[in-house]
Amino acid sequence: MVELVPNLLRQEMARLAEQDARIDGRARFEGREIILETDCLYNAEGSAKVTMGKTVVYAGVKFEIRTPWPDRPSEGSLMCGAELRPVAHRKYEPGPPSPESIELGRVVDRGIRESGCIDMNSLCIIPGEKVWGVMIDIHVLSDGGNIFDACGLAAIAALRTAVVPAERFDVGEDYTLSVNGTPIMASFTRVGGRYIYDPCEEEELGGDERIHITIGDEGHLHSLQKGLRGVFTPQEFAEIFEVAQEKCAELRKIVAEKEAN
Amino acid sequence: MGGYGDVQLLRDDGLRLDGRKLDESRPVSIQAGILPAADGSAIVTHGLNVAVAAVYGPMEAHPRKIQRQDRAVIDVRYNMAPFSTSDRIRPGFNRRSREISKVTAEALESVVLVERFPRSKIRVEIEILAAEAGTRCAGITAASVALADAGIPMRDMIVGVASGKIEDTVVLDLDKAEDNYGQADLPAGILPNTGEIAFLQMDGDLSPEEFDLAMEYNFKAAKEIHEIMVDALKARYDGGDN
Repeated sequence: MVELVPNLLRQEMARLAEQDARIDGRARFEGREIILETDCLYNAEGSAKVTMGKTVVYAGVKFEIRTPWPDRPSEGSLMCGAELRPVAHRKYEPGPPSPESIELGRVVDRGIRESGCIDMNSLCIIPGEKVWGVMIDIHVLSDGGNIFDACGLAAIAALRTAVVPAERFDVGEDYTLSVNGTPIMASFTRVGGRYIYDPCEEEELGGDERIHITIGDEGHLHSLQKGLRGVFTPQEFAEIFEVAQEKCAELRKIVAEKEAN
Repeated sequence: MGGYGDVQLLRDDGLRLDGRKLDESRPVSIQAGILPAADGSAIVTHGLNVAVAAVYGPMEAHPRKIQRQDRAVIDVRYNMAPFSTSDRIRPGFNRRSREISKVTAEALESVVLVERFPRSKIRVEIEILAAEAGTRCAGITAASVALADAGIPMRDMIVGVASGKIEDTVVLDLDKAEDNYGQADLPAGILPNTGEIAFLQMDGDLSPEEFDLAMEYNFKAAKEIHEIMVDALKARYDGGDN
């Protein structure tokens, strides 16, 4: 398979870049079609499935009651984790969480957390005694490239459909979790010397470093991550940041449309 | 079994709480080829259970010590997603998932023509996305369809089915409440074409007569589910996009 010939693939990527073309025929900043499904997992309190080309990702939200941290007696907590299990690709091995899956979970976590879309004080049940812990678990089932954006989208879409299971825990009636905002991630990978949006599997294999940008409803940055080996210039960042603004607004619209239906 | 308490599981009209007859399975739907990164894949919805299976290989068997000179080894991982149950599951293997993975692998090794692929490995990944009693059976069914989808030669597919006992009555395909409060559970992996059994577990209390009836129900269900498995594969390859 292609894993054996990344160098040939890199040459091909460089050749395509000269003609401003991409291996799957897309324009430089064109994303793949996104299919978003929500409320698709029976036992999760909120759930979403995202399909982007060959990438398939699920996210599920669960709640638990825990004791608050002593220094923040009225704040609940939010945790987002991702698993890159061997189901997702032949390149993933079984074992403890890999650095890649930890990075993925943490980057998605930061984007959601730092956007402030969850008011931690709203997760308080009894100050100093009981607060809600919200857990978003992301399960990558098929890695066909750009799992970061797929995971970010699945996580926020799942969170926005979550219902707090208060009845099951005997602390009142169930209610919809209040989520004030839709932070969205846009990812770029350097392929053939220039950045492209939404890399597919071959582009990740034959490409270099990547940049992940999470943007909130107001257009503010909430998380950034540069990954893999490589450097970039401020000018290059300015260009993709502008594209990211546009892409995030489009994806936010997909989430809103899904919720309106 | 969870114990035989005072929970009523059969209605006064003789039907089960969800309205099923004693020998009626929950609805099953199957789709093949749903994970593009895998060599073969399937999703099985069995009642409220959702099981996904992906197959990779045959590929080089490593670490080398697992290699067999005369056949392929099948490496199965059964895993429940953290959000698949009512209370979140901490990610990672546990004793239950290890045991299920082991017996599932042994069942699949009994039907796959492993001698065709010496020194290689076939990876079967079973992910449970929603669990409401019967996930190991849904997983085996999904794994069989995924292996067929991957073009791995097999003597037969295995259909995962289960019967059990509630309120001293044998019933087919226990749901969550029946599993929790019932008296016995008899999951089996059946080869529908040969009538052989490649997987069998049981816990609880069954008389020899009850066992016979439960297995009769299992064979009946296997026949029904097998048709759905075949249809899923046909839908994938009859003029589909493969």
